[in-house]
Amino acid sequence: MESTTKSSAYLKGMLAVMPLTIAVIPWGVLAGSLALEVGLTALQSQAMSAIIFAGSAQLVALGMIKAGIGIGSILITTLLITSRHLLYAMTMRSQISPMSLKWRLSLGFLLTDELFAIAQQSGSEASSRHKLDPWYALGGGLTFYLGWNLATFLGIVAGQSIDNLEELGLDFAIAATFIALVVPTVKKPSILVCVLVSLVLAVICAVFEIQVGLLIASISGMCAGMAYAKLTNEGEKKAAVLTEHVSEFETQDHSQSHEKEHTKNEEKR
Amino acid sequence: MMWLTIFSMAAVVFISRYLLLEPKLPLRLSEKTLTFLSYSAPAVLTAILAPIVFSPEGHLDISIDNSYLICAVVATLLAYFTKNTLLTTVLSIGLFFIIY
Repeated sequence: MESTTKSSAYLKGMLAVMPLTIAVIPWGVLAGSLALEVGLTALQSQAMSAIIFAGSAQLVALGMIKAGIGIGSILITTLLITSRHLLYAMTMRSQISPMSLKWRLSLGFLLTDELFAIAQQSGSEASSRHKLDPWYALGGGLTFYLGWNLATFLGIVAGQSIDNLEELGLDFAIAATFIALVVPTVKKPSILVCVLVSLVLAVICAVFEIQVGLLIASISGMCAGMAYAKLTNEGEKKAAVLTEHVSEFETQDHSQSHEKEHTKNEEKR
Repeated sequence: MMWLTIFSMAAVVFISRYLLLEPKLPLRLSEKTLTFLSYSAPAVLTAILAPIVFSPEGHLDISIDNSYLICAVVATLLAYFTKNTLLTTVLSIGLFFIIY
């Protein structure tokens, strides 16, 4: 019985991430072909996707390697781009940190924008006492990892035969995916405010070539959304839900009971 | 040198993902922090996608000739009305490759 729930949760995760995996194909193809063009070997190009597993950081780093920029600057830029994962991890801390080391390491490695999105989705569908099913997250995370690496492989193979693959506008796939992820999260006016502030600032920073634009825009967007919610008292109900969440987190200490309880919830659903 | 770059980037990325999942890290999240963080995904993803859409060539381009912008508007409408991720991404990327 238990293994059926595990595999059904795993399958659910796979299905949830499938659209995002399909959408990431052009982006992965771009990462693979661009790496070859920049001068990496086929093995190095694949290793980027297999070991780093961070699309936007990979593409930006490849641009910098091409421009002959040193490793120090590349790492600082990587840190800036990847800093959003700190926010994701902090958001999911109450769900993942009670799990075993094995689970934490695997889900930590697989924690992408896409996994974060499907994990949050599963939360909104469930009741307020939502707990993340590790098998659901693993199904989603691994499927996405495989998809990303297959697409990169495709890019490496295609990149050897097609010229100027990076001029095909494959980067629109990034935009389309992220639009599909963001729009459904805009459920309250304050999130709309957050998105608009972030959008305007990101474009301004990009036009003026401000390197830390991503950070400036996102932090400002978050502050604006929070401020709006506070001014309009929008967050009251949400705050109550979160308090419950926090107290749960504090009393919860081991993953065993966590897993069992979740399995029960799963069966009820 | 390339391998060093790849492995050190991987370390930076992994640490940023794992660090705050580590229970030994003394960190108590207040209710306020959690609310603040609930805005992180829309804010960060928007900040990545907006420059691609509004300034694909590096300068602000709000015009009918900007295929990125046109298709992004289509994607937004599709996402809003259908709430279907697959439909949104596949149709808007398809349209993009037709008109780009």
